Amino acid sequence: MKVETVLKAEKGDILGTLRSFLGKLLEKGIVDYLLVPQEFSHGRTLAQTLVKDPSHLDKANPFSPVMPMNSAAIVSQLTGDKPKKKLGVVLKPCEIRALVELVKLGQASLENLIIIGTDCLGTYEVEDYAKLMDEMEGTSEEKGARILADMRRAIVEPGTTSLPISLRQACKMCNSFIPVLADIILGLFEEEKGVFVSLESEMAEKLGLEVKEAPGRQEIVTKLVASRTEVREQVFAGFREKMGSIVDFSDCLATCTRCYACSSACPICYCRVCFFRTDTFEPESERYFRWVEREDPLRMPTEILLYHLTRLNHVAASCVGCGMCESACPRALPLTTLFQAVGEGVQQALKYAPGRSLEEEIPLASFREAET
Amino acid sequence: MAEFEPKIVAFLCNWCAYRGADLAGTSRFHYPANVRVVRFMCSGSIDPVYVLEALLNGADGVLIAGCHLGNCHYQDGNYKAKHRVQVLKKILGQVGIDEDRVWLRWIDASEGKLFSDTVHQMVAEIRAKGPNPMRKPWKVWQDTVGFHLPEIESELKK
Repeated sequence: MKVETVLKAEKGDILGTLRSFLGKLLEKGIVDYLLVPQEFSHGRTLAQTLVKDPSHLDKANPFSPVMPMNSAAIVSQLTGDKPKKKLGVVLKPCEIRALVELVKLGQASLENLIIIGTDCLGTYEVEDYAKLMDEMEGTSEEKGARILADMRRAIVEPGTTSLPISLRQACKMCNSFIPVLADIILGLFEEEKGVFVSLESEMAEKLGLEVKEAPGRQEIVTKLVASRTEVREQVFAGFREKMGSIVDFSDCLATCTRCYACSSACPICYCRVCFFRTDTFEPESERYFRWVEREDPLRMPTEILLYHLTRLNHVAASCVGCGMCESACPRALPLTTLFQAVGEGVQQALKYAPGRSLEEEIPLASFREAET
Repeated sequence: MAEFEPKIVAFLCNWCAYRGADLAGTSRFHYPANVRVVRFMCSGSIDPVYVLEALLNGADGVLIAGCHLGNCHYQDGNYKAKHRVQVLKKILGQVGIDEDRVWLRWIDASEGKLFSDTVHQMVAEIRAKGPNPMRKPWKVWQDTVGFHLPEIESELKK
């Protein structure tokens, strides 16, 4: 049975409270290894780390305000041979959704895996965050705590952020920021300014936690879902209005250089060798001149629409909306809007929601004989 | 001006639809020469990339045909085709490409007449739609689809 509690933060030290909680998970043997984001020594960014010793968590921040990559890809690496010991992974909701999709695609395993999901306050572009850290005064610890407090306030009272940078596009329009299918949930959406924890009652007993209610959590979540859904619908409506013809679609991808950064960053695009990176799309040079004889001018590099449309076909049904494609794009193309808006249409048609449950089959990988 | 003659690329599965087309020929059921057939071993092996390639390079329509559901030579290939085409059409519609230029039909090896009727019907409907808007900037479909039939081209122009 799942129980809920609130960890009181000593002197408002949220990060310290979280670190000691994660440390206890390792000490009490609830997990043997822990995958958790930690700050780099220069303090300008965070990245996932794999930890065994609880004393190595002094820079950990499960609510990392940056997301250099979707960690589902890391969990896929770590669980390729089904871990023999218990592995705890601290993931954001969109990373859990991507992991669920990868499990269903046979690319990751949940065996011996304990998912520690965090409420997501949103994330910043890596470059924006590094610049902000350079500009702010104080130790990196103080800066981290101030940013966390600011982001938290912005969740409870939207529009109150004092930071000069804004969330990533995908985060701005994300309305599924509460983890589902997590064994342990770490949350900041409650009124007492502590840390909300939801976990199995046995775990709570092992950790010596008292069961407590989290006041106001549900209201905060409901309010934020509503306001984010509104933003989301506005963005999608704007996109759909613009997509009148194939020319508009082509215009929207005008500066694409076919560098494949979006596909490398995408957790769902898991093929080891992508068809688009083979010789198929590097024909002998004579062919380009034959093409331009008939089509003048010829858009170079060629096959840009084909690439994005094919990726849409392969990914749209399982797109979890993490926006890594757009963050990775050196030309800042509106990829997350494209994939999520088109993905929503596809997912509704298939009655499928990526990352929602492990039992629901991926429509492209399943069939029923009763179907007609 | 001569009536617009659509170019249709047909991806047919080896076991049913291709045999159906063959039967249409041996039974002397007439069907328009607008259709260019590419044989696949199974409708389930038709990745959307092939359909997109044809459309982006100016094919006016793409016909995908395989065995009836439950009759697939490889058990479930046509179910995969069905889901893939459903997704493909949904995507095309949302990025401003007419999804009705892509047809998915089940045609058995014994259904030569159905193949001929399907092609007749498709040519008529695509002709009514007019040329694929991508045909204008992308006139090179013969090269990229991988075959070039100048004789048929000139025949069609007559």
